[in-house]
Amino acid sequence: MVLFILRRLLLLIPILIGLTLLLFVVARLLPGDPVGLAAGPNASAETIAQLRQQFGFDQPLPIQYWTYLTGLLEGDWGTSVFTRRPVFQDILEYLPATLELVFAALLIAVVLGIPLGLLTAVYRNGPLDYVTRTLALGGIAMPRFFLGLMLQLAFAAWLGWLPLAGRYPFIESPPDTVTGLYTIDALIAGDLYAFQIAAAHLALPAIAMALSPLATIMRMMRASTIEVLQQDYVMTERALGLSSRLILFKYVLKNAMTSTLTVIGLYVSWLLGGTVLVETVFDWPGLGLYATQAILTQDFMPVIGVTLVIAIIYLLTMLVVDVLYGVFNPKVRYA
Amino acid sequence: MTAETQIVIPARNRSARMENWGRAYYRFRQSWLSVIGLTIVVALVVIAILAPYIVPHPEHVAGGTNTAARFLPPSADAWFGTNELGQDIFSLVVVGSQVSLFSGLAVVFIAIVVGTAVGAVAGYFGGWTDEILMRITDLLLTIPSLILAMAVAAALGSGVFNMIVAISITWWPAYARLVRGEVIGKKEEQFVVAAHALGAGWARILGRHILPNIVSPIVVKASLDMGFAILTVASLGFVGIGVKPPTPEWGTLLSGARSYMPDYWWTAVAPGMAIFLAVLAFNLLGDGLRDVLDPKARR
Repeated sequence: MVLFILRRLLLLIPILIGLTLLLFVVARLLPGDPVGLAAGPNASAETIAQLRQQFGFDQPLPIQYWTYLTGLLEGDWGTSVFTRRPVFQDILEYLPATLELVFAALLIAVVLGIPLGLLTAVYRNGPLDYVTRTLALGGIAMPRFFLGLMLQLAFAAWLGWLPLAGRYPFIESPPDTVTGLYTIDALIAGDLYAFQIAAAHLALPAIAMALSPLATIMRMMRASTIEVLQQDYVMTERALGLSSRLILFKYVLKNAMTSTLTVIGLYVSWLLGGTVLVETVFDWPGLGLYATQAILTQDFMPVIGVTLVIAIIYLLTMLVVDVLYGVFNPKVRYA
Repeated sequence: MTAETQIVIPARNRSARMENWGRAYYRFRQSWLSVIGLTIVVALVVIAILAPYIVPHPEHVAGGTNTAARFLPPSADAWFGTNELGQDIFSLVVVGSQVSLFSGLAVVFIAIVVGTAVGAVAGYFGGWTDEILMRITDLLLTIPSLILAMAVAAALGSGVFNMIVAISITWWPAYARLVRGEVIGKKEEQFVVAAHALGAGWARILGRHILPNIVSPIVVKASLDMGFAILTVASLGFVGIGVKPPTPEWGTLLSGARSYMPDYWWTAVAPGMAIFLAVLAFNLLGDGLRDVLDPKARR
């Protein structure tokens, strides 16, 4: 298995080189003038030429790419024309906020989705089944940004239970940075008050992001559990007199998990890309807001950087999913 | 004593093809959810086509304002209330269905055409062609599609057409993967070998023999994708990329409503519910079509 993981990690290198090349070419082929936008409408031709030179836009494309690629390895991911800061530094600052949001959403989706899927499969066509299936259909169709707005309306504006937007109040100081995830940092510091504040801010955006994956995971889990329940070996186990709880948790769950795992893995990328929408609604200072701002000002380097980070996280997640296949199903060989 | 009983074979009053359609219709009707989905989709399409003629305030759709009637809550006069410019939200949302439905359809159509071409060529020829085309496809699949679509749309500039192009760029790889797999599966079948032996060229084999046999999975995927395409169009509108006012579009309307949110909540509810309803209807219809065309996947 260690060999398998090593080989897969090595395979990531050509994929990432291809990805940077593709992103770089796409970014340069597109019309748009980031320097002109950053310099402002009143900038002289001289200033623009100077900025061009400063950001290396006057070099031929292959040389620009080579400079970028070698820079990547040294931690130099280019400079944002808009914030005038190194992209890598910006990403390091915004990534933890996004990761916290994605982890929270995924946690809600998995912790609720898998048991609900199992339950509805076992009590098929019962009242719980109908209620959750109807809700799931709605959950998949619900736009995240609209759900976010409605949650704000209900829980922040009308009920006043949770804060409207933001990640942490300006007047309070966030817990000492260890992981950059405020809720976890607060727990590490043992600061329950800070944890409460961080969790309250996290709740609404996380729920807004979690609904669609929750619905999909539940449906997937229900479908694969029903399929496994109809297998011959389950009938054999029943005939042998094993308790239904033992059958469900020891034999059915593991086999039903494999297809659900793929869906969970795919959702990591979907959630990371989708933070753009939810972070806009909740003013959550993460990669999504950063990317949106960069896109609106046609600032290439941050967009390439954010895309690259999300792609790397996605590829690593798929690797973890492939390793987990083997844990749930020993028949899977690592080849 | 055995009386001669005549065995009556019921006369076939319908052709085999009609019988197939009848069976498909029966299977589709079995799930009332897909019938509801189809009903809403048909209603949406009819409303979108007739929109300019049936809305109470066509002048607001063209950009006209009525500042005396700002932020009126929903009432008998203005069903969904009025917005910050005093425009009738009901009129805007109804006409907004045109952009959303049309763009969704266009995105899926372009994705099918491009994806099928790439996937068919890759699957049929194999070898290096396959390697190169599929590696590009795989790379595009690893990029978060929403961010790529946003970046391309922003660089191309606002407008419905540019937005459709931008989303299609992120959409075709999934079809290329699907079609490639199906083509590889069909390529070795007897009827393809026979066509080849008769001297048919690759274009004829692909176009006349293979592609007609893999229409079902493509249609199923397309109908399930329609809802997500509409959602993506609205998402781009919501972050302020894509269609610009005064062209009414659901995502743009919702994004405008955000600034007036807690107090004038109705400005957000109507466009949001419209997106929800359209996506839900297409998802239900897609589920129904999958049951008809791909009975194996039925749960």
